[in-house]
Amino acid sequence: MATPPELAKRLARVRQLTDEYKAGDKRSFDAVRNLADFLLRLTVLKPSGGVRLASIQGPTKRFVAGGWNGPDDPLPLNDGKYLRLAITLELVETKDGPRLKVFESSIQYQADRDGKDWIFRYDYLRYSPNPHPAAHLQIRGKLLRTGTRNIERIHFPTSRVSLEAIIRLLVQEFGVKCNEDSGVWRPVLAESERLFFEIAHIPLSVFPV
Amino acid sequence: MKSNGTRKKNLNGVIELTRKEIIERIEHGAKRRMHCSARNLVRLYRAGQLEDAGAVADLLALANLLPDNDPLFGNAA
Repeated sequence: MATPPELAKRLARVRQLTDEYKAGDKRSFDAVRNLADFLLRLTVLKPSGGVRLASIQGPTKRFVAGGWNGPDDPLPLNDGKYLRLAITLELVETKDGPRLKVFESSIQYQADRDGKDWIFRYDYLRYSPNPHPAAHLQIRGKLLRTGTRNIERIHFPTSRVSLEAIIRLLVQEFGVKCNEDSGVWRPVLAESERLFFEIAHIPLSVFPV
Repeated sequence: MKSNGTRKKNLNGVIELTRKEIIERIEHGAKRRMHCSARNLVRLYRAGQLEDAGAVADLLALANLLPDNDPLFGNAA
């Protein structure tokens, strides 16, 4: 069990990184990376894995947070499976000054590196080109009732689903072992998620046209 | 860390990829997983005709790194 000062330090780190990503400057990209890496290392990530930002060479305002070699390199988990992470980030001008926005986010739990054997996937698209809900969950499985559509093709509408929620799901429902005990990761994830939802864009699931 | 064989520059948690590397990775993934070219993958996605975009969200994220006027996007940019 972590002593209160250890927990307090971790909570302070979450708050600091959150303040940095909300600041809307060049540090914001790295703050997202550091926070995702921190939360995953605290919980389900194998020590050999890590979150990195990918970018194109040269000046850019767009980065993708993903695995060590990019979004197509899934993160190894403690249960031998993988988490494919692809979060597209961009600094944009708003009426309150520059802010960091998540344009697209995809988090997929998969049994193999390639992702052919995927288990579930959550996607969020700020501007979706297709008619599916902007935020949706897909589950790879079959309905028990015959003659119905393959369930993996169904895009179940959701609100925003945080990385913290996915981590909790992996630990509690899929039994992925955590690197720290629940006395640490639960309050840390809860605080991080709370701060995320203060600013998270919540999309509609029905397009007006 | 497992490497996928591309050259990369590590700058404090950032992997910088050249345009060529990005295109090669999308091309490789699109051929292997969707049996189409990188250009076709992006075109289908932007036209809202990719039924299961989430399956290749990692490749579409790589495409997001390219500037909006990149030739890969063709007329759909």
